[in-house]
Amino acid sequence: MAYIDYYKILGVDKSASQDDVKKAYKKLARKYHPDLNPNDPDAHRKFQEINEANEVLSDPEKRKKYDQYGENWKHADEFEAQQQQYRQYQNGQGGGTYWSSSGDGSEFSDFFEQMFGGMGGRSGRSSRSSYSFRGQDYTTELQVSLSDAAKTHKQIISVNGKNLRITIPAGIADGQTIKLKGQGGPGVNGGPAGDLYITFHIPEDSRFKRVGDDLYVTAPLNLYTAILGGEQIVETMDSKVKLKIKPGTQNNTKVRLKGKGFPVYKEEGKFGDMIVTYSIDIPTNLTDKQKDLFREIQSLN
Amino acid sequence: MQTDLIIVNEYCRICHIEPSFLYLLQKGGLIEIDTVEGESYLPASQLYDVERYTRMYYDLSINIEGIDAIHHLLGRVESLQQEVNRLKSKLRLYETENHDSIEDL
Repeated sequence: MAYIDYYKILGVDKSASQDDVKKAYKKLARKYHPDLNPNDPDAHRKFQEINEANEVLSDPEKRKKYDQYGENWKHADEFEAQQQQYRQYQNGQGGGTYWSSSGDGSEFSDFFEQMFGGMGGRSGRSSRSSYSFRGQDYTTELQVSLSDAAKTHKQIISVNGKNLRITIPAGIADGQTIKLKGQGGPGVNGGPAGDLYITFHIPEDSRFKRVGDDLYVTAPLNLYTAILGGEQIVETMDSKVKLKIKPGTQNNTKVRLKGKGFPVYKEEGKFGDMIVTYSIDIPTNLTDKQKDLFREIQSLN
Repeated sequence: MQTDLIIVNEYCRICHIEPSFLYLLQKGGLIEIDTVEGESYLPASQLYDVERYTRMYYDLSINIEGIDAIHHLLGRVESLQQEVNRLKSKLRLYETENHDSIEDL
């Protein structure tokens, strides 16, 4: 476990007064606070570090202990043994993929927990705990494939040991977040429960690219069909369509198929378009006869 | 009886904040407070915003004017982020994975 230099995190030196620490903390907190940096995991992580550093350096008792043991941390085997019980306590805490997004940066490092786990937690002044009423919001991420996202479907997810059956409406977008009201942590002092936020991730599909509600697909086209015209079968999300090809179709020609794209979120029966780009296959490995015939055409031009 | 209204004074007592702070937020147009028979109530739907503004005000020492400006800027950041996401997904259409490299021209 790595030693954490709390002075460096807050950018103050070891002789900094309580007031200096407070000022440095507030300045950095205004920069990295999750409320001011929504959806920014880097800022969130940074804020947790700042918060933890402040938790230690703003509390004279913790700061004294940190100064005393801090630098020799790696060699403090005895101390570590004493703290074993706190580590076990820490390991017993939940885990899983759910975390609080209350914006208070309340998660602490292992280093902090080992050193201060037994010191009765935080000072309270700077934490949200003093404003507790509504329960904590939970956030989680859910991965769905493009084809699953194209149809309304039910899925069971587990949130803090509780199974929830959720309905994912067709047309959900990559990065979209839906809120399940009241499925977060329980409220305090009669306050309402928090909410659960689920952010969806839709990995790239090998066949279709999606932009909004439109689907883009590249269809190979035989050289002779492109020159002479004909028909070509193209796959849509859930079926196949037969398209007429005009004689003299150029490479990279695009056609728009109205209503053959992705379902529009929460608008039943409405679909985006599908844009087909033809990619003409130039024949390779020609036989001598084919080559001769091509030369003949060439000479006619 | 409406259950999603929270008595302002009660809320402030539990959360250790000044009712005047909530009235300042209301005056600044940042939250709504309902008055029923002389008692002020906070709609539960406002709690999320109230908590955010409370953290900005008490934890980060940002005044109401600052919170108002942040509120607007965050709205802009969000719409710009959506625009970036739209553009990114559009850009992917033009990015081909396989390129033949031509070494001698």
